[in-house]
Amino acid sequence: MKPSEIIDHPFGSAYAMRLGAKAPWLGHLPGPKTEAWRFTPLRTLASTPFVPASASNDVDVTELPRGLPLIAGAARLVLVNGAYRADLSDREFGQGLTVSTAQEFASSARSPLALLNAAYAAAGISIDAAGAGLRPIHLISIGAAGAEPLAFHPRLRITVAPAASLTIIESHVGLPGQTYFSNPVTEIVLAEKASLRRYVSVAEDSEAFHLATTTISIAAGGSLEAFHLGLGGALVRQEISVRFEGRGAAARLNGAYALSGRAHHDFTTVMDHNVPDCHSSQVFKGVADGDSHGVFQGRIHVARDSQRSDARQLHKALFLSRGPQIDCKPELEIYADDVQCAHGAATGEIDHDHLFYLMSRGIDPATARSLLVEGFLTEAVIEVSVPDVQAHFIDAIRTWLKSREIARGRP
Amino acid sequence: MALLEIKNLHASVAGKAILKGITLALEPGTVHAIMGPNGTGKSTLSNVIAGREGYDVTEGEVLLDGKNVLAMSADERARAGIFLAFQYPVEIPGVTTSAFLKTALNAKRRAEGKTEVDAMEFLKLVKAKTAALGMPYDMIKRALNVGFSGGEKKRAEVLQMTLLEPRLAILDETDSGLDIDALKVVSEGVNSLRAPDRAFLVITHYQRLLDYIVPDHVHVLAHGRIAASGGKELAVELEAEGYAKYLDAAA
Ligand SMILES: Nc1ncnc2c1ncn2[C@@H]1O[C@H](COP(=O)(O)OP(=O)(O)OP(=O)(O)O)[C@@H](O)[C@H]1O
Ligand SMILES: [Mg+2]
Repeated sequence: MKPSEIIDHPFGSAYAMRLGAKAPWLGHLPGPKTEAWRFTPLRTLASTPFVPASASNDVDVTELPRGLPLIAGAARLVLVNGAYRADLSDREFGQGLTVSTAQEFASSARSPLALLNAAYAAAGISIDAAGAGLRPIHLISIGAAGAEPLAFHPRLRITVAPAASLTIIESHVGLPGQTYFSNPVTEIVLAEKASLRRYVSVAEDSEAFHLATTTISIAAGGSLEAFHLGLGGALVRQEISVRFEGRGAAARLNGAYALSGRAHHDFTTVMDHNVPDCHSSQVFKGVADGDSHGVFQGRIHVARDSQRSDARQLHKALFLSRGPQIDCKPELEIYADDVQCAHGAATGEIDHDHLFYLMSRGIDPATARSLLVEGFLTEAVIEVSVPDVQAHFIDAIRTWLKSREIARGRP
Repeated sequence: MALLEIKNLHASVAGKAILKGITLALEPGTVHAIMGPNGTGKSTLSNVIAGREGYDVTEGEVLLDGKNVLAMSADERARAGIFLAFQYPVEIPGVTTSAFLKTALNAKRRAEGKTEVDAMEFLKLVKAKTAALGMPYDMIKRALNVGFSGGEKKRAEVLQMTLLEPRLAILDETDSGLDIDALKVVSEGVNSLRAPDRAFLVITHYQRLLDYIVPDHVHVLAHGRIAASGGKELAVELEAEGYAKYLDAAA
């Protein structure tokens, strides 16, 4: 959607005021009565006086934060407060990859947040991949607010040409102790027999908001493998919609979250079997401690003529204490009759027999619990087919577990 | 002083009395075997000694080197030297056997004031121990006990025991599920650990195991009590005659 098209929308006024004014869009965010946002209230977001990111209020970021994954051979793309930073990014992407910045492009996403993004996005980045043997891309989005809470709206489009294959890793991080709102919109188009591996890690600061909207369309014979890690933030939502547009396509959509303190994380997925003969599988696992809140909403839609669809979905979560809340809402809308569909959801606590087994070998209870939590989440992370990335995600989970122990006063 | 002393131990599960006054002393360097019918409390006794939750000790004491075991948590007991090879080892998805072994080994070494083993030393150690037990080394890369066959689980228990070198090893039907060759290999593993400062409590239904791990004492557990004690010949007699006479006597 072009900015000119949205002038009639409530956010149109926001667009008109994008330079300087305190955000007038806050009153137009979805409220608790909107079903899709029932578990993820935006009150706190709406009551924070964000200002749009602009060159004048940017904090000067001259180097990358620590703890980012090192992916061999990857080409780096860096965004600071949603704006592309040539000085921190690679210039050469190698054959078959075209990366263009300062692009305005339409997005098919029509949610309020996507419209907000369209109104405010500084400039989009578009990545077009063709051919095989392409360099992986590592996209790093850094939130760096100054004195005032900052809102920014990264906009990304990825297209993969017929039979081409691309791997992209995304790290969403922030400088510590800052209040910012990242509202990324990503549109992904996979052509026939194209394949994409996308690995997203969201580890925002505990004061930060991150509401990501991703739409993915897959043509005949195309395949997607995606993993999303959520390690916190004041309010994080990763909303991913996949739509099959041609037969014989496959999508593996997986994720894990680990929450402590007052973190809120929401995975919302839509798997749209719009055509026959496609496969989808989803494995999401999470753990919640402190007063955190985990949400999984997964909708599977199989259209009337989408015969021989195979759709699977699993969400499992562990309570690590009595404080957290976990909401899980699977929705199956199956209109075809020749369909394989399985979904499972389970929440529980750490198994006492498992804990006793480890303790009976001399392992103290806190370490035993950490091992079990790591094991529980690892079961989802092993879905990641790139070993470097898998190892990085497991390391990130270990670091999270350590910080939790430190927070409890253990060395 | 006895290495392990059980004095008049009474324990119940879910309000039901299972152990009804067990008294047993294991001197250092000895192997004690316990035999007895199904459901008489052999595993209950092992679990109470190892510190599993869900058992109420209503009377009696358990002492390791004179120290009150019942006041310790399960992990403290393990670091004090108690090891239980489980009758039914649990499967723990996602936790690799190697990560588990290394954590357990280093917990023990720290408790003993030793330095932790590094990745290389650990690898060498585990290679040697798995080879001795006829286990493929790659098994330690798998999730703990997940998908292991019955016999593989039992070998893995013995592997843990040989790594942790406990002062008191309780083997709860470690022989069940083992094929004839595995029985020999596992027995050799146990025998290699026999030492003057270590004791074993071997629970079994089969005299055959005791041909390989020759016990100093054999006890019959029936209805939650030690109904008879003797030497190795008692196991031979049980094999021939069954438990009928002890069940009548104890009832
Ligand atoms: N959680 C429980 N709730 C109720 N009864 C229990 C529980 N655990 C054990 N028991 C009972 O305690 C008794 C002793 O069980 P235990 O496992 O100690 O027997 P065992 O001598 O090891 O038998 P086996 O030779 O079959 O292994 C049994 O009758 C068993 O059913
Ligand atoms: Mg038993």
